Amino acid sequence: MRKFILLLALLFVGFGIQDIFAQTTPANALKNVTIHNADGSTTESATIVWRNGVIEAIGTNVTIPFDAFEIDGGDSLHVYPGFIDGLSTMGSPALPRTQDLPRLEEPGNPPYDRAGIQPERKPSELLTEDDGFEAAMKAGFTSAALYPNGFMLPGQVEAFYLSADHADVELIKETMGLAGSFEEAPGGWGSGAYPSTQMGVMAQFRQVMFDATALQQHMKYYEQNPEMPAPDRDRVLEAMFPLVNNSAPFFFEVDTKEHIERILKLQDQFGFDVVIVSGKEAYAKADELNRRNIPVLAGIDFTDAPDWYAEMKKEDNDSEEASEEEEISEEEQMYREKQLEAWKAEVSNIKKLMDAGVSVGFSSAGLDLKDLTKKMEVLLDEGGLTENDLVALMSINTANILGLNRTHGSLQQGKNASFSVFDKAMTEDKAKVLHSISNGTIHEFKGN
Amino acid sequence: MKKLNIFAVLVALLFGLTATAEAQITDKPEYGKIAITGATLHTVTNGTIEGGIILIDGDEITFVGENARITNEYTRIDASGKHVYPGFIDGWSGLGLVEISAVPVTVDDSELGQFNPHMYAFTAFNPHSASVPVTRVSGVTTVLSHPSSGSISGKASVMDLWGYSPDSMAVKKSGALVMNLPSSGGGGWWDNRSEEEIKKQYEENLKEINDFIDKARFYDRMMKAYEADPSGKTKPDHDPRMEAMREVLAGEVPVVISVDDEKEILDALEWIKKHNDMRFIFEGVSEGWRVAEEIAEAGVPVLTTTLYTPSRDYDNYQRPYQNPGLMAEAGVKVAIVSNDTENSRNTAFEAGYAATYGMGTEEAVRAVTINPAEIFGVDDKLGSLEAGKQANLFIADGDPFEPLTKIEHVFIQGYKIPMDSRQIQLYQEFLDRDAVNE
Amino acid sequence: MIAAFAFTAQAQDKGSVLIQNATVITVTNGDLEETDVLIRDGIIREIGKDLNAPRGVETVDATGKFVMPGIIDAHSHLNGVDINEGRNPVTAEVTMEESVDPNEVGIYHALAGGATAIHLMHGSANVIGGQGETLKLRYGTTQEGMKFEDAKRTIKFALGENPTRVHGQGNGVQPRTRMGVEQVIRNHFDEALDYKRKREAYLEAKENYDRRGRGTPPVPVAENLRYEVLNDIIEGEIYVHCHSYRADEILMLVRVFNDYGIENYTFQHANEAFKVAPELAKHGAMTSVFSDWWAYKFEVYYSTAFNASILNANGVINSINSDNDQLLRTLNHEAAKVVRYGDTSVNDAIKMITLHPAIQLGIDDRVGSIEEGKHGDLAIWSGHPLSIYSKAEMTFVDGTKYFDRENDPDDMRIQINPGADFDDGSNFREITTRRETDACLQDAFILFGEQSAHNHN
Repeated sequence: MRKFILLLALLFVGFGIQDIFAQTTPANALKNVTIHNADGSTTESATIVWRNGVIEAIGTNVTIPFDAFEIDGGDSLHVYPGFIDGLSTMGSPALPRTQDLPRLEEPGNPPYDRAGIQPERKPSELLTEDDGFEAAMKAGFTSAALYPNGFMLPGQVEAFYLSADHADVELIKETMGLAGSFEEAPGGWGSGAYPSTQMGVMAQFRQVMFDATALQQHMKYYEQNPEMPAPDRDRVLEAMFPLVNNSAPFFFEVDTKEHIERILKLQDQFGFDVVIVSGKEAYAKADELNRRNIPVLAGIDFTDAPDWYAEMKKEDNDSEEASEEEEISEEEQMYREKQLEAWKAEVSNIKKLMDAGVSVGFSSAGLDLKDLTKKMEVLLDEGGLTENDLVALMSINTANILGLNRTHGSLQQGKNASFSVFDKAMTEDKAKVLHSISNGTIHEFKGN
Repeated sequence: MKKLNIFAVLVALLFGLTATAEAQITDKPEYGKIAITGATLHTVTNGTIEGGIILIDGDEITFVGENARITNEYTRIDASGKHVYPGFIDGWSGLGLVEISAVPVTVDDSELGQFNPHMYAFTAFNPHSASVPVTRVSGVTTVLSHPSSGSISGKASVMDLWGYSPDSMAVKKSGALVMNLPSSGGGGWWDNRSEEEIKKQYEENLKEINDFIDKARFYDRMMKAYEADPSGKTKPDHDPRMEAMREVLAGEVPVVISVDDEKEILDALEWIKKHNDMRFIFEGVSEGWRVAEEIAEAGVPVLTTTLYTPSRDYDNYQRPYQNPGLMAEAGVKVAIVSNDTENSRNTAFEAGYAATYGMGTEEAVRAVTINPAEIFGVDDKLGSLEAGKQANLFIADGDPFEPLTKIEHVFIQGYKIPMDSRQIQLYQEFLDRDAVNE
Repeated sequence: MIAAFAFTAQAQDKGSVLIQNATVITVTNGDLEETDVLIRDGIIREIGKDLNAPRGVETVDATGKFVMPGIIDAHSHLNGVDINEGRNPVTAEVTMEESVDPNEVGIYHALAGGATAIHLMHGSANVIGGQGETLKLRYGTTQEGMKFEDAKRTIKFALGENPTRVHGQGNGVQPRTRMGVEQVIRNHFDEALDYKRKREAYLEAKENYDRRGRGTPPVPVAENLRYEVLNDIIEGEIYVHCHSYRADEILMLVRVFNDYGIENYTFQHANEAFKVAPELAKHGAMTSVFSDWWAYKFEVYYSTAFNASILNANGVINSINSDNDQLLRTLNHEAAKVVRYGDTSVNDAIKMITLHPAIQLGIDDRVGSIEEGKHGDLAIWSGHPLSIYSKAEMTFVDGTKYFDRENDPDDMRIQINPGADFDDGSNFREITTRRETDACLQDAFILFGEQSAHNHN
């Protein structure tokens, strides 16, 4: 049976990912695999059965139903809950190029889109081809929360099942919240617009909230009293209502401690729920985030280790090579100590947040997923995380933050059948995903 | 004469000036035989003389010492309790070339073109710039006024700050050739060029400069050969650029190169090794303290300042103040300059910071007097109180580095100049604006 | 970038110290020789001779030394994240409070020059720019921790060449002339007053309708941040600091402010203020000027280093500011130049960098002089602070020592980029010289194009 699978895989080489079996078998079963549970435990020689996108049975004592197509893992494959990218711009149309933006008559009073205020945009209406989808699946991701590329208010956040073909990327949940950042309005010489600064973005955000509040009030009054002047309906302002009413969280991409303080200030003023996205310096605000119950969808796009440190570690590892003593000044030596301290602080961000009790999930936030393994190694070696932490971070923790935990984030009976099959334990050298099951659909990868 | 006045008023109105703002200095200088007595003389080159005497005859200092017979022909200035210093020399200024830096038509320091050794600051030096009197009453009597564009900007000129024509003010028309080498280091975080781009641009630009200098050397050899024996030779065409390089290649006129960070300095030191027919001066040199030994070893003097923020994030805050002292300690000849135009008068405070942060007052005084004079080859006339030198000096009521000290009299080329400037006139007019004569 | 947070000082860190046997330049009560100053929990408790140190309070022997109130810079852009929201001629709604970088190492450099507070200002690109933020130089705290608690709110205005160049010439929107500048101000004040009337009417009608169910519901008038701030100016809650140079434009603003009843304002730079000193004194307008900058642009060509002295002699409350990260390090000597040029008394010159800026920022009840009950914000100098040979030896904010020459490591960064090696270009700063004159137009160069991208102020 195992040979059959491999043979089949060979047949499809050249097509990259293939949807196989999905439409032809009533149910599927994967047996003799090692299952990595979201809580960190593993189950060996386990079987997992799924039907119509739902896990029907899982464990060591499972009877495979007659109508399930069987795949035998031969006790060498490792199954992980499908990873969830907590926030990504995968499949988003590219940003307009600065030089393509026409000069504005009144740069101080630009139309909403030129100010970077586009909360009405939904990724589900904008998805476009993107190599990132396949890369994400090959990295073990089966679902993701997406938002469109943009500026201060780029659009809405929606969750999707992944597929290599953007046309097959299915919506899980719409309008889960609004995305935001402190990005200034686009444009350069002559084409720029208000707000063009950090402080301008803060002020303009407030004004949009005030304007949305007034419009909502007007709509409410008008509904009660149609004889009054009708409100000027506005898609942009109406898309802000969830924030005004605190009915959906604000997924805010920030890294520096100061920026985090600034979004907290806006939270104090308007009362919305915040999810910090990326949050490289979130550790510096860990206690406050915990107190405010603000989760972090942490990025792991760390700065590379200082060259001299990487070399030093390499030399330590193969000590046979006589290491040349590098001569540096005392000034530079002290510089290096600070540099290393800063780097270690950066890579232990997630650990510090977890220790402080902050709910931490994962977001790719600019990370090229090809680098995922490399970054995870850093987290394990220097960042104080265990393999279990990593799995939880990318599965159940992220599902919790996105409110998808009833269906996603762990391998349990009744949960959505989204998981990845690795050829060895994920953290082992050159581990790769062989199959990715997303909403029950099997995607298979050629051996690269 | 009357017509001229009306014209002046019209011009003034055209520029929206009040007649008073255009007021000119009407006092005349004193000139002739003048004796300064009772002062502490800071000769710079021969120590300090308490209660000394200086005799000035015409444009020359004729005596510096303790005892001299002062005949009745001399106008006496009793300077008891006061201090006399040689006029300060600001060795790097835009004075005379730039009137208002934000108004391009008043900016004459940046000619078009990459190689302009035949341009002279002297030519465009405006003797009537409002900044000239403002500067000289502060005790800065002489500046090196420099052009600043392209790879070879032109010749900076050593100018005295009293006179009615560049001719009468020029101490040395060819004070120095101003050259800008490219930077190999990139411009820091604000520079978005890639490393390859930076390297390529650096090498291309450097090659252009090398080629130009090689051509100039060839021209010089060719002309020398012709001049030595023109018989039977066709006279080569005159090339003003090449011609202007000859005094530089002969080592008569030094070359100023602006460098700041460590790498730029080291690159420049490397480059000048290949051009040992020329004499070099570094300007800027904000990280000179990092490579002071190397600069000293190469024997390159520097023109530098103190009042600026450190060049690296992790530098000690006082490094710029200490930089001139650290270089001097390593054996570099240091001149402290203003690197300014309208506020060339602050040269003394730039030096005062160096004095305070390690250089010491005596050495810092040298850095604004004899050192720049030697660097520009005018020490036969300027830079110290010595008989036979030109009478450029000032009388102060204290240490001239102290901002609270008043400069009381200034002599330039022997002229005891009116202590007046537009800034002083505005003060006189507006201190009690609405007063009336009764 | 990652901040290493090497310091853990917090805004609430109030220190105690007994400084002994110094010459104390009180500013308001003459110079007191051989005098002690006791600071407890951030407040100056006692000034006198032979004070006893309370238990646990550190003493500093300052024999032969001078104690001066911390220098206050009424015009700085030292640690602004951004300086100019330069895309609209009026941006009253933005505030430098939200543009504070607490990690700027220049804060430490300023402390080393004896400074303890700055007025972090918006730039001069706009006729009505953003609000300012008065900061104590508590290096190592947060942006919140740097705030001077309960300082008066301020806002930047700008007249003359900068706003007319940025908006008129650069963007083709009014103003392009000094005529236009006046009308931009008046129009916005008028609009703000109209807004206020409508907004209040709406809120009242809303109240009636929502609570009492009376009448028809009103059409909502949205809260408008810009107009709210403009109304706060008219109502005197915000002090205006106006970038200006020419005498005529200074008088223009005096007229406008008279018309709208705005009373507390300071002309910044004001190179020609000396020409209208009697008018300024009459209207209680204040000035904050450079010691000697001039001639870098046309509107400062007819100015003089005697400006401060003329203003002072005419009874105008004047301060000397830096507007420049280098001058901020040496403001004591900038003040000394006022004595040099215009024969102003030493104490009056010192007022110009201590008490007078404090008045202009609405913090003079707490800082600006050494008096019992005021904040322990001061510096110990090796000699008289106006001497070129004097150095700040220790600088205290709220009685906490933030600078000590005896313990002064080279590398004082608190924000460290782990991606930058020792020699990397990113470690290089743009050097600010004593004459760098473009801080006020930071971020706004882009609006002029490359040709003129330097030498603006």
